[in-house]
Amino acid sequence: MNARRHLPHYAMVLPFALLFAAFFLYPIISGFYYSFHDWNAATEARFIGLANYEAVLKSRDFARAMTNLGIYIAITVPLGIAVALALALLVDSFTGFWANFFRSAFFLPVVLPAFLAATIWRWMYAPNFGLVNMVLGWFGMPSVNFLNDTGTMLYALIAVDVWVSAGFNMVILLAGLKNIPQDLYEAARLDGASRLQQVRYVTIPMLAPILFFVVTYGFISALQVFDVPWLLTGSSFTAYGGRRNALLFPVMDMMGRAFGAVRFGEATAYGFILTFVIILFTAVMFGLRAWRTPK
Amino acid sequence: MSSVTVNQAIVAELYTWRFLKWVLAICVAVVAVFPIWWMFNVVFADPGTPVSINPRLYPTSLSSGLSKIQIILMETPYLRAYFVTIGYALLTILGMLLIGSMAAFEFALFDFPGKRLLFGLVMLSLMVPTVVTIIPTYLLVAELGWLNTMQGLVVPGLASAFGLFLLVQFMRTLPREMIEAARLDGASHFKIYWYIALPLSRNAMVTLAILTFMKTWGNFAWPLIVAPKPEIYTVGQVVGLFNAPFSHQTVDVVMTANLLAVLPPLLFFLIFQRKIVEGIAMSGSKG
Repeated sequence: MNARRHLPHYAMVLPFALLFAAFFLYPIISGFYYSFHDWNAATEARFIGLANYEAVLKSRDFARAMTNLGIYIAITVPLGIAVALALALLVDSFTGFWANFFRSAFFLPVVLPAFLAATIWRWMYAPNFGLVNMVLGWFGMPSVNFLNDTGTMLYALIAVDVWVSAGFNMVILLAGLKNIPQDLYEAARLDGASRLQQVRYVTIPMLAPILFFVVTYGFISALQVFDVPWLLTGSSFTAYGGRRNALLFPVMDMMGRAFGAVRFGEATAYGFILTFVIILFTAVMFGLRAWRTPK
Repeated sequence: MSSVTVNQAIVAELYTWRFLKWVLAICVAVVAVFPIWWMFNVVFADPGTPVSINPRLYPTSLSSGLSKIQIILMETPYLRAYFVTIGYALLTILGMLLIGSMAAFEFALFDFPGKRLLFGLVMLSLMVPTVVTIIPTYLLVAELGWLNTMQGLVVPGLASAFGLFLLVQFMRTLPREMIEAARLDGASHFKIYWYIALPLSRNAMVTLAILTFMKTWGNFAWPLIVAPKPEIYTVGQVVGLFNAPFSHQTVDVVMTANLLAVLPPLLFFLIFQRKIVEGIAMSGSKG
C-alpha cells in the first residue's frame, strides 16, 4: 500500500531515470569494461588487462598532448580569468546605457558557436591577407603563418580561447561584483586605499567564491579542449593535431584513436585517464579552498 | 594651498582615469565585435577586389550579399543542414524540458523512498566530464542502430543533469500551499504538475530552453561522430566543409556560409539577452 502511494512519484521520475541510466550510467560501466579489452567493434572483444592504459601512457602522442595541454592550461586559465575580471571591473565602472552596451559587446563572442569562432579566426590568422597579418604589415612586420608555425600555434589558440571565454566569465563575475556592498569600498577609500588596493583588498576577497567556481570550471573545460584546436588545424580523424602535433590535445588524441585507428578499448582507457586527471585537479582545487577558508 | 593642489591632482587623476577607461572599453569592444562585423562586410560587398587589397571595413553592397545567401541556400546542402540543426535543437529542448520538469517536480516538492539516492547520483554526474562517456555513448548509439539518425543525435542528451539542477532549484521556491490546495480539490498528481507547477516555472524553463538552444546549435563533437553521413550533417559540419583547405570556395562564399551559421544564435541573443546573461550568471553563483 505504501508502494501504491508512491507510484505517481516514480512514474513522473521514470523517463528521466531511464534515460539517465541508459545514456550516462551504462556508458560509464561499459566504457570501463571496454577499457580492459582489445576491441575494434568488428571482432570479439579480448581481455587484455591494463594493456590499453599502458599503451596510452607510453605513447608518444600522449606525452605530446599532455605537454601541450600543460602549457596551454598554465597560460589560458589565469590569463582568461584576469582578462574577464578586468572586463567585469571595466563594465562595472560604467552605468546605465553604456554599461549595458559594453557588456553586450564584450559578451558577443560567447554567442558564437565555438566551431564558428575557430573558423573565423582561421581566416583572421591567414598568412598575407588575414586581418592580423594585415595589421602587422601596417607596422612593417613580416607576415606570420600563425597556424602553421610551431612556435606560434599554441599562442594563436590561446588568443582565440581568451576571446571566446572572457565574456562568459565576465558575466558571472559581474553578477558577483553587484553583490559587494558599496560601504566596503567607502571604508577602504576613507582609509586611503587607491583603486588598485581596493581591487586587491576588497573586490578579490569578496569575489573569492565566484572566482573559485570560474577557475575550477575553467580548468575542467580547458582540460577537455577540442573544437577550437581541431578546427584551427583543419583536422580530420586520420590527420589531426596540426604541424608536428603542435596543437595536439588529449581529447583530440582520444577521438583519433577511436574513430581514426578504430581502437575503442584504447580510446575508452584514454577517457578514464583524463577523467582521473580532471578529478585530481578538482580535488586539489577544493582542498585549496578548504585550506584557504578560515574556520 | 597644498590642499588645493592635492584636490587638483585628484581631479586630474579622475579625468585621466575616466578617459583611459573609455579608450580601453572601446578598444576591447572593437576586438570583440570586429571579427563578426568583418564577416558581415565580406558577405555584403561587391565581389572582385581581393580581401587583401580591400580589408572590408564596412558593407558596400546589399544585393550581392543577398545573392550569395541565395546561392548558398539553393545550390548547396546548406538548407537541409539548417533544418537538421533546428530539428536537433528543438527536439532536444522539448524533450529535455518535459522529462526534466517532470523529474524536477518530484525532486523539488515531494518525498519518496530512493529520492535522495537518485538525486545525489544525478548531481554527482555533473562532476563527471564528457570525455569519459562520449565514446561508450557513441558505441551504444551504434548498437541501437541509431547512427546517422535524429534520435541518435537527440536522445542521449535528454537526461540533462544541469537542466534538472536548474529546474529543481527553481521549483523549490514554488508555493506549497497552492499544490496542497489543488490536491484537496481532487486534482490528480499529473494535473497538479501540468496546470500548476509548469506554468509557475515558466521563467526557469525559458532560461533553460535558451541555454540549450545555444548549446545544441554550437555542438560540434557529438554530431561529428554520431552523424557522419552528409544527409544528416548539422550546420557545424557543413561550415567545416566550406572551410576545408581544399574546398575551392572563395572567401566571400565561405563567409556567407559562416554568417548563416551565426544568424540564429545571434538573433536569439539580441532578443533574449537578459535571460541568457542571467542564466549564465545564475549557473555560476550556484556553483
